[in-house]
Amino acid sequence: MKDLRIDKINRQESITIRVNGQEVTAYPGETVLAALVAAGFRGLKQSVAAGETRGAFCGMGVCFECIVTINGKPNQRACMYQVDDNMEIVLA
Amino acid sequence: MNNEKMKFNIVIVGSGFAGLKAANMLADSSLSVLLVDENIHLGGQLLRNIPSSLGRHTAYRPDYVKRIGFQFIESIEQKKLTIINKAIVIGIYPGKRLLLEVDERQVMTVDFDVLLFATGARERFLPFPGWTLPGVYSTGLCQVLMKSSGVVPAREMVIGGSGLFLLAVAYEALKNGVRLPGILEQSGLFDKIQMIGQLPHQFSKFVEGARFLSRIYLSGVPVHYRTRIVEARGAKELEEVVTARVDRHGQIVPGSEKIYKTNTLAVGYGFVANIELPQLAGCDLEFAGGKGGWVVRVDDRLKTSLPDIYAAGEITGIGGALKSITEGEIAALSILCHFDRGKEETHRSRFKTLTHKRQHHLRFGEYFNTLYRIDERAILSIPDETIVCRCEDVKMGDIKKAVKNGYNTPLSLKVSARVGMGNCQGRTCGVNIYDIVSSLTHTSQEAVGRFSVRPPIKPVSIGALAEHAINR
Repeated sequence: MKDLRIDKINRQESITIRVNGQEVTAYPGETVLAALVAAGFRGLKQSVAAGETRGAFCGMGVCFECIVTINGKPNQRACMYQVDDNMEIVLA
Repeated sequence: MNNEKMKFNIVIVGSGFAGLKAANMLADSSLSVLLVDENIHLGGQLLRNIPSSLGRHTAYRPDYVKRIGFQFIESIEQKKLTIINKAIVIGIYPGKRLLLEVDERQVMTVDFDVLLFATGARERFLPFPGWTLPGVYSTGLCQVLMKSSGVVPAREMVIGGSGLFLLAVAYEALKNGVRLPGILEQSGLFDKIQMIGQLPHQFSKFVEGARFLSRIYLSGVPVHYRTRIVEARGAKELEEVVTARVDRHGQIVPGSEKIYKTNTLAVGYGFVANIELPQLAGCDLEFAGGKGGWVVRVDDRLKTSLPDIYAAGEITGIGGALKSITEGEIAALSILCHFDRGKEETHRSRFKTLTHKRQHHLRFGEYFNTLYRIDERAILSIPDETIVCRCEDVKMGDIKKAVKNGYNTPLSLKVSARVGMGNCQGRTCGVNIYDIVSSLTHTSQEAVGRFSVRPPIKPVSIGALAEHAINR
């Protein structure tokens, strides 16, 4: 299946991250958000008051709509973090 | 880096065009310089490239202005200054001291003689029902995803809002094979044709704009002017976008609605200055529509109202990369004179040239900031059920009701309706709250005022703060 990666880039070897336990392919240098979007994850967290599903919005560290749990640390902005091999990501 | 106290002659906050230009010049002096940036890479929001750790883009050709910027990054990496990425200034204190959180782990104290803010701008948005659905992205997010991570937001998306940046994102998306069923621009086409009068001032900008537009037209993508996003619909994610024609005041023309079936929508309505840090430091601010709203008040030498603090780039008026480069240079020269009054004479003629250039850029910015201004009537036509504050799920109707009950300042609205109380600390909703209050109460923006800013200026881990306190 074709993912959302741009094919004009000569990428290094892929790495594996886990999203809610599911194995997902990523590439070093990508942000966590990019790896999530590429793999088709769109809803990332629940809104505080209404409990609506929210996804990333500003993409540059301002809005905090893409906060996820990364390697056990809650409330991390997926757009400001780069992926690492075996990174463990949990979406609420 | 350990926990010891650091001291620099100059601390520059922000590594976009303005910060980079100033840092490059100041690093050549005998003064010690620290450049900090919140992002993973240098370059701010505009200078983005596939990181070498990811790979190499086989087809990326930066334009003239970006090439200058990438040269700044290349040359700065050879110079003797300290650069810290992933660093957030969380507080500024009397005695020329600031608190820095690095890499979400470590908090450190930094003392400075002179501080230069070059904190740039962020996008602004006009809320509409459903803009909180997953699949509705900012135009900035789409651009960053494509340019810094090599991922497209979707294979097909609708782009809407206002401003030249919509075209930049459309251009990038088309280059990467994304289908665009439509681009919706709230302002009119005729308004844009008037830009030709500005041509001599900003030639490169127009070449860029022409390049965007020709690619878009050649690709057969329909660009709809005076057209606005009315609603985004979907159960759990975006499924369709409703648009409508608007009149000159941003009011919807009844019966002109159109529906796009799409799961991705990119929205953006221009930019607002990131002035929270200067505000925290106590710098005077000013509201000027032609400068894009609230900005830091500076003089010709980019001195703020505080004796040891300077400001450069988008935070003194939204005006683009060329203005930021010019201001980066002015700020650097001013700071050199700050440390050595004797330099004043040496730089006199350069100051004159740069001040002249800056005036051109400000006029150019004023034109666009006025053209793409969001009309008061468009603000007031946000439907009651629309979420305005995304962090706390506060709706337009809640805000109207609170204002009616006398909570007619940003601060009292924060307490009564919880707007701006969440993680983003009002950075996303603030500009709309100020506009809503100003419009509803017929009060000037200056009288309405802004949310207050207190440290920590962004959410910070208690553990890192505690460790810093213990180690001191």
